[in-house]
Amino acid sequence: MRRVAVIGVGVTKFGLHDRTSAELFAEAAADALTDAGIPAGAVQALYYGNVVGGETEHQLHTGPQAASVLGIPSVPTTRFETACASSHAAFRHAVMEIAAGVSDVVMVGGAERVLNVSTAESTEYFAYTSDAVWEQPLGLTFPGVFAMIARAHMQKHGTTEAQMAAVAVKNHRHGALNPKAQFQKQITIEQVLKSAYVADPLKLLDCCPFSDGGAALVLASEEVARRHRKPVWVLGSAAASDWMLLGDKRDLSRVPATERAAAAAYRQAGLGPDDVDVVELHDCFTIAEIVATEGLGLFEPGAGGRAAEEGRTSLGGEIPVNPSGGLKAKGHPIGATGAAQIAEIVTQLRGEAGPRQVDGARRGLTHTLGGSAATVLVSLFGRD
Amino acid sequence: MTEPAITVRAFFERARAGQLVAIRCGSCGELAIPPKELCPKCHARAWREEPLAGNGTIASYTVIRVAPRAHAAGVPYAVAVVALKEGVSLLGRIVDIPLESLAVGMPVRFRPFVAPDQQPSIGFGPA
Ligand SMILES: [Zn+2]
Repeated sequence: MRRVAVIGVGVTKFGLHDRTSAELFAEAAADALTDAGIPAGAVQALYYGNVVGGETEHQLHTGPQAASVLGIPSVPTTRFETACASSHAAFRHAVMEIAAGVSDVVMVGGAERVLNVSTAESTEYFAYTSDAVWEQPLGLTFPGVFAMIARAHMQKHGTTEAQMAAVAVKNHRHGALNPKAQFQKQITIEQVLKSAYVADPLKLLDCCPFSDGGAALVLASEEVARRHRKPVWVLGSAAASDWMLLGDKRDLSRVPATERAAAAAYRQAGLGPDDVDVVELHDCFTIAEIVATEGLGLFEPGAGGRAAEEGRTSLGGEIPVNPSGGLKAKGHPIGATGAAQIAEIVTQLRGEAGPRQVDGARRGLTHTLGGSAATVLVSLFGRD
Repeated sequence: MTEPAITVRAFFERARAGQLVAIRCGSCGELAIPPKELCPKCHARAWREEPLAGNGTIASYTVIRVAPRAHAAGVPYAVAVVALKEGVSLLGRIVDIPLESLAVGMPVRFRPFVAPDQQPSIGFGPA
C-alpha cells in the first residue's frame, strides 16, 4: 500500500448561510486547491459527504452536483452517508483509492445545509438516523440518544452535570480563538447548568448547534505530496459499526465502535494513545466527548468527566481535545464535520493554528461518530 | 428459502394485542429481538419464536422536551431502554408513570403504545 498525505485543506465559516450546500462545498474545495497549490485538473476523483440534502434541499445525487458546482464535472464522484460521520467515511475510502494506486490526487469534501428549515423539521430529519420502525415512532431524538448514554454513564461512574458542562465551557473557550467557528464567545459553567433541558440530563448548552457549512481536503500519493509544502501523512484510518438499535447495545455507558475503530487505527499507525499530541473528536453533546476520550484510550473508562473538569483536555493541558472549538462551538454541518476535523488537525500539525496552536504537535487524531453511535471512524496523522 | 420466524409487521401486530415476542436460536440458544436473519452469535439461520413476559427494569431513560414535529404536541415525554428479565432490551415510551419518579433500575411492565398518526409501538407502564 502507498503512503497518502493531506496536502490541502479548506473550510467555510460555519453557521447560517444563504447558499446551497454545493456552493458551500465548492468554496471550501477551491480554498483547499489553492492551499495545496495544485490545479483543479489534477483531481481524479471526489469522495463527498452529505446527509439530509434530500430533506432540507430536496437534493439527491449530491456528488456530481458538488463536482459540477466546483467546476470539475467529469471526475468520478461518490456520495457517502454514514450520518454525522459521512465525510470521514468519504476520507477513508479516498485514502484507500490512493493507497491502492488507483489515483494520485483525490478530493474529499462534505457540506450540509439545515438552517433553511425550522428546528422542529431538522430535529425530525436528524432523528431519521435512528430506526424508522423501532425508535422513531416513540419520538426518540438525537439528543435523547445521548441523554440515555449520559444517564447510563452517570449511573455507572458518578459523572456529573457539572463535569459535562466543563466540556462545553472548554470548547467555547477554544472556539473563541477560531475565526471560522459558529460561536466565538465564552460561556460559564453556571450558564450551561441553568440552560433549559432538551432531553434530561442534557441541556441546551450541552448540545452542538444546527449549522450550515462545507469542508474539503486534497489528498495525494507520496510521490505527488513530496512536491508540495508541508504534507501531513495519514498514519491510519479505520471504521467500525455497532448495533443500530439502542435496545441491542449492551452497555449504554460505552461506545464499542469507538473502541474498535481506535484499536484498528492505532494498530495501522503503530501508535498508542500516549503518542497523540492533539485530538479533534465528535462532541455532538458534552457527554459524547467524555465517552470518546475514554473509548480512544486517553483516559480510563469512567475518568473522562473528571479529566474534563480538571482541565486536562484544554489547550495547555496534557492532551488538548477540540482546539477548533469542536462541534459544540465551531458548529456541526453534519456532512462536513469529518473533513473539517481533519482540516483542523492538518492545520495544527503544520503549526499554522495561530492562537489555538498546540505547541509542537507532531501527531494528531480525529474521531467522528454517526447516528446513535452505530458508525465511528478514527484516523491518525503525522508530520515529517 | 426459509420463512422468517417473525416479521417486523407480525411483531407489532402481536405487540398491539399485548404480547411481546422474541426469537431464540435453535443452534446456540441466543435470544434476540426480531428481525434478524442470522443469529449474531453463531450465524445459524434457525430461529424459533418465544414469548416474553414483558417485565423488566429501566436501564436508562430521558425526558424529551424538544421533539420531532410529529411528537411536538406531546412534550414532555419519557423514553427508556428497558432490560427485560429474559435478557433482551427494548426501547419504549413511558406511560402512566410520573416523569419525576423515573429512576434507573425501576421495575416496569410492557404495554402497547400508539402515538397519534404513528405506527403501533412499545410502551412501558408501572410494574
Ligand atoms: Zn446462534
